[in-house]
Amino acid sequence: MSALDLSLREQAAAIAKGDADPGELLDEALARIEQRNPAINAVVETFPERSREMLAAAPPGPLHGVPIVVKDEWPLPWRAQRFGAAELLAPTAPAESGPYRALRDAGATIVGVGNMHELGAGSTGNVSVYGPARNPWDTERCPGGSSSGPAAAVAARLVAGAVGADGLGSVRFPAAYCGLTGLKPTFDRSAMAGHHMAATTTLIVSGPLCPDAADCRLLGSALFGESLAAGDAAGLRIGVIRDPVSEDVAPEVREACEAAIEALRAETGGEVREVSLPDLPAATLAAILLINGESLGGVTPERLNRLNPEVSPIARGFIKYRALLPASAIVQAGRIRTLMRRRLAALLEEVDVLAWPTIPAVAPPLESPLVELPSGTHTADQANVRGAALANLTGIPSISVPVGLGAGELPIALQLGAAWGRDELLLDAAEALERANGRRWVEALPPLARAETETAEA
Amino acid sequence: MEASERADEFIPAGLASLGIEADEVELAVMNAAHGMFWPAILDLLSLDTTDVVPERNPDLSRAPQ
Repeated sequence: MSALDLSLREQAAAIAKGDADPGELLDEALARIEQRNPAINAVVETFPERSREMLAAAPPGPLHGVPIVVKDEWPLPWRAQRFGAAELLAPTAPAESGPYRALRDAGATIVGVGNMHELGAGSTGNVSVYGPARNPWDTERCPGGSSSGPAAAVAARLVAGAVGADGLGSVRFPAAYCGLTGLKPTFDRSAMAGHHMAATTTLIVSGPLCPDAADCRLLGSALFGESLAAGDAAGLRIGVIRDPVSEDVAPEVREACEAAIEALRAETGGEVREVSLPDLPAATLAAILLINGESLGGVTPERLNRLNPEVSPIARGFIKYRALLPASAIVQAGRIRTLMRRRLAALLEEVDVLAWPTIPAVAPPLESPLVELPSGTHTADQANVRGAALANLTGIPSISVPVGLGAGELPIALQLGAAWGRDELLLDAAEALERANGRRWVEALPPLARAETETAEA
Repeated sequence: MEASERADEFIPAGLASLGIEADEVELAVMNAAHGMFWPAILDLLSLDTTDVVPERNPDLSRAPQ
């Protein structure tokens, strides 16, 4: 078994104890990327010399010598981000971004850049200037987006941790599709400097994608610049909302998530309460309007007439449609945000976490990302965003945890949301859920990673 | 007056008023987006939010004051 197959924290501990050589680990990661990445297109660029320089200068931090993949959403000192697109609407250049500094200061080694859905505008990962990323559980299926590459890289065990970004679910969707744990932090709690929308966004955050919650805690601590202390989820009060977000989902998803909620309740000695949060569809649209409005900051009509023809036609059409959104709708979206923040604040006095499925159906085919729900056939984007936007709109943290495998052995995930600043509680609850199901789902490996591990163990 | 959801009026007029050009494929995408979003935008605008007192300089990292 390669040290690369250890968890992130085990890799860090093995290096700290002298049981693993970080230079060899980096070489193994680069070799594994060469070996496995062609099947999934998760990593779009490696830079071995830069990685070795980073390792040579690495301080003895909590991630010393551990290889990490970073989404193509932040610049590195040697590379500007491309945001998965032929062209961004904002100027970019190589730079020391917040996630880069956080990883460098923790001693980590950035081994590659992760693919992403073009311009961050999709939950599937099937559109990118680099070509689609593929799901290691089934390479004809979507890996989720927009942090498609980081998730696929971790699921295929190219690395044990990756940094993604979440503006409307972009950490949680790929975590769910790829069977990982993904944390969308409280707004403004994790490193964002250098992002081309860092100064204007009120929704996007960086977040960790890892096999389990303890690894998310370790990588998240680096991104937060503070230790995310482990606590106790005892007596957890779990709120369940009866809404299409939890009910208009594939039967296998509903069944797995309801079982997970009950397992979490039993493990923590807590309770499950049905709660109400009206106007969720309005909240979803408000988040969509706000992020689309913010993304157009400084973009002139003349600039829109010069879009690179290599930007996909879908993205070009959507970008131009954004310019037509009425100001009255954006202002109304702001009022809905205020309304939902107040309602959530009151609700999160009554319960500790809200729980619902991260994704309403398992990963759809790359060629046709549609999902079948009780209400009919929907695009995955339309269906997925309903469960994710609330956290971005209001600023609360949210986590996606794997809770089963559905048809075609594809992952199913439960999402938990908590009050502002209670990211640690979400990690505690995720760990309780892992214990409750015997860590079965966080230790499940996709075929791409499984075959070689089984061969090595035999 | 009834609100119009017709993309064939809204999109060409909006593009022309802003001086934005669009080819056939982009227009098809915009029509699809309009069909998807506009009814929901009208619903959003029809919500009565007059009692919602806006947050002054909201800090999204914290609960509302």
